[in-house]
Amino acid sequence: MQDNGHSPYTPISMHILRTYYESTDRSLKTLELSFDHAADSQEFFQAFNPGQFCLLSVAGKGESALGVASAAWEGDFVRFTAQKMGSVTSALHDLKAGDPIGMRGPLGNGFPLEDWKGKDLVIIGGGCAFSTLYALTKHVHHPDNRDDYGKLTLVYGTRTSGLCMYKHDIAAWHENEDMEIHQAIDVPEENWLHHVGYVPDVVRQVAPSPVNAVAVVCGPPIMTKFTLPALEDLGFSPETIFTSLEKRMKCGIGKCGRCNLGPKYICKDGPVFSLAELNALPADL
Amino acid sequence: MRKETIMNLILEKQALPALFQSWREHYDVYLPQKMERFSHFMPLSDESVLVTDEPHNTRIPPKALFLPMTEALVEFTRFGSYEDAKQTIQPRIVFAIRPCDAQAVQLLDTSFIQEGYVDPFWVEKRAKTITIGLGCHEPCQTGFCTTVGYGPFNKSDLDVLLTDLGDLYLVETISEAGEKCFQGFPTASDEIYEQALMVQHDTHDQMPVAFETENLKEKLEQNFNSDYWEEISQSCLGCGVCTFLCPTCFCFDIVDEAQRKERVRNWDTCMFRTYSLEASGHNPRPSRVERTRQRLSHKYVYWLDQINQIGCTGCGRCVRYCPVGLDIRAMLRQAQTLPFEVSHAG
Repeated sequence: MQDNGHSPYTPISMHILRTYYESTDRSLKTLELSFDHAADSQEFFQAFNPGQFCLLSVAGKGESALGVASAAWEGDFVRFTAQKMGSVTSALHDLKAGDPIGMRGPLGNGFPLEDWKGKDLVIIGGGCAFSTLYALTKHVHHPDNRDDYGKLTLVYGTRTSGLCMYKHDIAAWHENEDMEIHQAIDVPEENWLHHVGYVPDVVRQVAPSPVNAVAVVCGPPIMTKFTLPALEDLGFSPETIFTSLEKRMKCGIGKCGRCNLGPKYICKDGPVFSLAELNALPADL
Repeated sequence: MRKETIMNLILEKQALPALFQSWREHYDVYLPQKMERFSHFMPLSDESVLVTDEPHNTRIPPKALFLPMTEALVEFTRFGSYEDAKQTIQPRIVFAIRPCDAQAVQLLDTSFIQEGYVDPFWVEKRAKTITIGLGCHEPCQTGFCTTVGYGPFNKSDLDVLLTDLGDLYLVETISEAGEKCFQGFPTASDEIYEQALMVQHDTHDQMPVAFETENLKEKLEQNFNSDYWEEISQSCLGCGVCTFLCPTCFCFDIVDEAQRKERVRNWDTCMFRTYSLEASGHNPRPSRVERTRQRLSHKYVYWLDQINQIGCTGCGRCVRYCPVGLDIRAMLRQAQTLPFEVSHAG
């Protein structure tokens, strides 16, 4: 989001391009938004970096912070996946193509992609927190960017196969020579050809090499809690382990005070932190 | 910081009504007035009941003049789009703001102006306000401004500082805007000025040291998981009055007022459970223990990390108005008994 003289609290006007369910239980729905004004689009993509989030706004209901699930090269739209939880996300689920919607963003720091150039990437996701990692994978996997990074390893776990998001792309990635992909579900299902087990265990089993590599972890707190030590055991140093945090947010720009972690605000200084940075902050998560 | 005085003048107390009248031609004048049983900064009108002799600050802190308890941020249009909420602020004079409260507003500039995005609602009100401070010539019972590095006649963020000398005030103009408010007033004699300085120093010296601040940050920081937090929060009711009346607390909630077609911000408090409750049901601060730790750590650890200043100006409101008599001074004295290691960083 640019400082262009407008109030940083006022959303820009967008509309819904299309929506579709991600999960078979219809708890996860993807919304693709397009810009009402070309200038807003230009501003957004000048600032956008995978790993950032936006606040989606439904007038009269409120705002909800969601990670951007699309890469810039995909086109002049922004993708989000919302889990139906409260009044705002329920209202988001009710939106149809053509409906107006407000958006503020991109917000937060995003992944430090410049620092990661030349390195192997180990991308570890769980559940619906995979959205920004999906954007990251799409960005890195694009022919224009692929040579900037080394080996690409993906670990993605969900409770059930039905909760797995972005199924078409992930199925296609399995065919890809230049990507190692490990999918997991928590409990066995018929015809499941991939891992069964929790993400931290799959990470230990797959044992990605820490040599000239960075690992990025996004998932529910319990998954993150056990995956970080698994990576340390594999030899990843705290400086090479990254995670994207969430806390309850309101303003998204470090003013309302809500999402602080010690002296840092997750919305403004994060959401992406290295484990080394987190180790220096209070465990107030 | 604007500390140097431009001029030293004299203001007779009996000249106040006429002075207020002349200001009202060009400004909205805010000063402490009786509201039911307590005092609050409100715009001066013909019916105003003034309180300029209360020996302490108002109950509602004047941060409310810059961050109102409720304030529209966004308006919803008929077409499903959004517009900045309009605010019309007249130039205004805030009279008799206490130095602790003026200092607090300056601390809040860190969040609303200096760090990241500029908050247009805050900036507009700041730019249009002249602050005339009233020093505290009697040490107040619960305040501890000198302990946290400020003082009863601190000039930070003031355009003018008044010192009460009985029938008159010494007027120290600090900025040009402040000076303009007192044009034509007689210059103070050296004798009056010396008398005021003596009052200022005497009051400062009468304020006891409420707690030691040396290594306090390290002690709170290193004892993040200590039983100390449970001990000090045991009798807390979680009512949040300490944060509501705190001049440096700035947390706000954002909610939609659908019928008014507005998105507004309202004062919020980290002492409430719902403040940090997440949609999943997870709460990083599930009990008053974690919430008390957040409140104290924010003021005495995190502000120091951010700008190397304590985020408390010692105004004493949280002590004066806590319904169960919890006293931050006692909490911090107890914190001074906690074990800690000297950090070698810097």
